[in-house]
Amino acid sequence: MKLKRIMPLFLLKGTRLVKGVRFRQFVDVGDPLSQAMIYDAQGADEIIIVDIEASQKGRLIDGDLISAIIRKTRLPIAAGGGIKTVEDGRACFRAGADKIVINTHAVCTPGLIRDLADEFGRQAVVVSIDVSCDGNAAYVPYIYSGSKSVSVPLEELLDSCIQHGAGEIVLTAINREGTLSGFENKLYAGVRDRISVPLIASGGCGCYDDMAGLFHSVDVDGCALGTMLSLRDYDIVRIKAYLTGEKILLRES
Amino acid sequence: MNIGIINNGISNVGSVVSAFEFYRHTTELIDTGSRLKIPDILVLAGVGCFNVAAERLKQNGIWEALQEEVIVRRKPVLGICLGMQLFASIGYENGANPGLGWMPGKVIRIDDPAVRVPHMGWDEVSPAEQSLFNRIKSNCFYFMHSYHFVPDDPSVIAATTKYGKQELVAAVIKDNIVGAQFHPEKSQGDGMRFLFNVLERIV
Repeated sequence: MKLKRIMPLFLLKGTRLVKGVRFRQFVDVGDPLSQAMIYDAQGADEIIIVDIEASQKGRLIDGDLISAIIRKTRLPIAAGGGIKTVEDGRACFRAGADKIVINTHAVCTPGLIRDLADEFGRQAVVVSIDVSCDGNAAYVPYIYSGSKSVSVPLEELLDSCIQHGAGEIVLTAINREGTLSGFENKLYAGVRDRISVPLIASGGCGCYDDMAGLFHSVDVDGCALGTMLSLRDYDIVRIKAYLTGEKILLRES
Repeated sequence: MNIGIINNGISNVGSVVSAFEFYRHTTELIDTGSRLKIPDILVLAGVGCFNVAAERLKQNGIWEALQEEVIVRRKPVLGICLGMQLFASIGYENGANPGLGWMPGKVIRIDDPAVRVPHMGWDEVSPAEQSLFNRIKSNCFYFMHSYHFVPDDPSVIAATTKYGKQELVAAVIKDNIVGAQFHPEKSQGDGMRFLFNVLERIV
């Protein structure tokens, strides 16, 4: 896709919006519905909403919240958290999600990706993968909100997810997440060519030039923003204006 | 106006409902064929696979009732995304499956190794039928699909979008039937204006 997407990423604990640093030290940053309406008005291209406690607590993202958001906004919503069966996926679509996001259960049960893609179409199945990159070691995928590492190498995991029917990949660098230190550009550069579906970069964005640098160096399809929007004085209108000035192709706000 | 939104049990119709309610229309969710007579216009929305959606519509009697209302009684209908693809005579998602046949043609996978599939995100369309794109600011709409509609008769094409080397069909119109491959209900202000134009054009 030639137009890059600017995508607020909402982390939820239940029905509250939270933000942390490297998946820890979460603080409450407000009401997801009112925040979604604000970013919609500012011209966000899509919102990703994930209940980060859902898998651990054995629940599903709150359907009433998804319903409320899709009725008050006019942009695509990708929703996830705790989806482990086709029926869970159906509940999210019925609530109004345009796409579903799976993470832990996609890694544990790759067949789930295929089942969801067969039922809802692969364009509706987003696989989110969290990786940590300590020192010079290889990137290691994590599940259960960054709390449990996976023995499968990242490249192998990505290939498997796409073969099974993932329609889009959101790749989050855990050690950047919430730090405002910039995207892990080499992570995306390293995997871009093996991913035949859209790729979204997530984790670490702290200023305009982090986005400009990312889009200039790697052909990702979009980037996710969290802390920068929730806890700093940035908005999507100005972000898009700046990036347009940097010759990055975007939809106008 | 009363808008009948067909619910096939997979789709997210809430955003379609709220988009029409914004323009003060009443909406009704339809899950059986017998209810299709009531509304002034029908909307076939949807995510899902071609074969699964076609099967669902047949199970609850909507398929036959749609043929009656749209073809015999000429009731206006809007198809969104998969809803538009179902207008075709045949779809090749998970095998070959017949569509509603309102616009002869086929639905095939986007086949270009140089582009990413699914075609996902905001893309600019080139209108061929201007009446559907009046007062629209940027012609950018949200797309989310791996398959695309290739009509036999190119005169039904109302808009296209360039993806790689191909011009994909982005919207179609034929008499009382309008379809959009993109999601107007997810395309902020321009999407709302598109829906407004559709009602003005076919109702």
